[in-house]
Amino acid sequence: MSERPFWNPYVAGVVLGLVLLGSFLVMGFGLGSSGAVTRLAVAGAHLVAPRAVETNAYFSQYYGPGKHVLEDWLVYEVLGVFLGGALGAYSAGRMKLGIDKGPRATTAGRLVLAVLGGVAMGFAARLARGCTSGQALTGGAALSLGSWVFMMAVFTGGYLVAPLVRREWR
Amino acid sequence: MTFPLYPHGLFGTYTGLLVGTLVGVAFGFVLERAGFGRARNLAAQFYLTDLRVLKVMFSAIVTALVGMTVLAGVGVLDISLITVPETFLWPQLVGGLLLGAGFIVSGYCPGTGVVAIASGNIDGVFAIGGVMLGSLAFGVGYGPLENFYKSGAMGAVRIDALLGVPAAVVAAAVVAMAVGAFLGGEKLEAIFAPRQGELVPASPAGVKMRVFSGFAVVAALALLALALPARHTVAASKAARPIAAADLGRELVASPDAWWVVDLRPESEAGKGRLPGAMVVSEKEIASAAGLAPTRSLVVYSQGDLEAPPAAVLKFAGEVFLLKGGYDAWKADVLTAPKPPENPTAAQISDFRTRAALNAYFTGAATVAAPTLTAPRPMAAPVTAQKKGGGC
Repeated sequence: MSERPFWNPYVAGVVLGLVLLGSFLVMGFGLGSSGAVTRLAVAGAHLVAPRAVETNAYFSQYYGPGKHVLEDWLVYEVLGVFLGGALGAYSAGRMKLGIDKGPRATTAGRLVLAVLGGVAMGFAARLARGCTSGQALTGGAALSLGSWVFMMAVFTGGYLVAPLVRREWR
Repeated sequence: MTFPLYPHGLFGTYTGLLVGTLVGVAFGFVLERAGFGRARNLAAQFYLTDLRVLKVMFSAIVTALVGMTVLAGVGVLDISLITVPETFLWPQLVGGLLLGAGFIVSGYCPGTGVVAIASGNIDGVFAIGGVMLGSLAFGVGYGPLENFYKSGAMGAVRIDALLGVPAAVVAAAVVAMAVGAFLGGEKLEAIFAPRQGELVPASPAGVKMRVFSGFAVVAALALLALALPARHTVAASKAARPIAAADLGRELVASPDAWWVVDLRPESEAGKGRLPGAMVVSEKEIASAAGLAPTRSLVVYSQGDLEAPPAAVLKFAGEVFLLKGGYDAWKADVLTAPKPPENPTAAQISDFRTRAALNAYFTGAATVAAPTLTAPRPMAAPVTAQKKGGGC
């Protein structure tokens, strides 16, 4: 099966906006991602070192009577993102194993950079209380001042660092 | 005022989780169709060859923003119940820069990384693995970071409120800005894509026309709705509801993040002991309590019984409660171990059990929550605060 084309970005944006609007109308809050990934990491760490996680000044917020670190709206939402992403890729004939990188990049180099960039994002998302989904997109639509500051900073950070990793992509 | 449904109590937590999964499926599907499961489509934004990220993101923000503004304008949506992520200026500025850097280095942001994994991209697995490590690193390094993490706290501040103009005006300005950015962005693509030996991304004029004029029409409707007669949603004679200490205790155990707790006593008194997560608010600063996010209920107390909370507190947009008997009642009913009743009835036994459990919970917690002895600033979130949703 040949691959279906991607949507026109403006149309994709409007549909994404309607999904976001739907979340606001039904739940009263918007979308998110990094929070669920953090919770998953914390749950994993808890299997190895439960005491250290529960007494950690930051992670202790996820533990307490009647609380479970994975029993959270965001975790279910991101589970949905995974399912929806798989559905989208499968139905478009795009679901295949691969590594996306520029023509000059080595596989090992690309994967190392993927982890390093991921570490920076994981740390940054906790510091900023959200990522591109929970802050930029959701907070942006809710006209949160901090979210707009965050969004502008994300683009600035990306443009500043892009020339340094040109070999990875171009 | 029908929307949003969940804060109006129209369905419970578990239905909410199901809704969350469905919203996620739609979110993930659209991200995939937008091309965001592939790192090169995202990285192209930062080499100006394909500004897909800008186009999708700002079209989405504009759609949700003007949609909410119109629905609020015609009175279908209670905008005060929409969660606004709280502003902490400095960590959000620095976190944004670092996240942007991580984005171009890893090729994904956290949400698109999940979609990449779902569509079979191994680099997505490494990126999300990195995000997990980075999250854990933040927790490990939290101690010395805590002050910075809480710096620049301004509460849940909306740009329209900050500027003192109606949301519809800001929404219209955002639409104009976005369309300007789109047109400018396409000019950049036309310059930078050929320079790097790539095709300029196709952008059919018909689709553009329809999307942009759609934005303009909805933004205009939002502005027109300003002319509608104002609806008074907050009853003028709003009163605080009393709540007993034991009942409040149960609520705080069950859902600590559904409450703002405000201690009206002077800091000298409150420093000796107070409710977990309570904010100490002086008379001068009392107005700031009214500005807290109305997605939670607000409970206020003094040393003894209060007839009514200060008038400023009643301006709070959500529900206001008054702790019956004040801190004295909390001490007597919750912090003091209950005496087992003699010849008890079944109801008395059950009551005793609840009180004993509450006593154990809060007296145990009190020794852990030692930091509350120094008075925090009124706007700082309580220790137990942990926002739902949006947290990304």
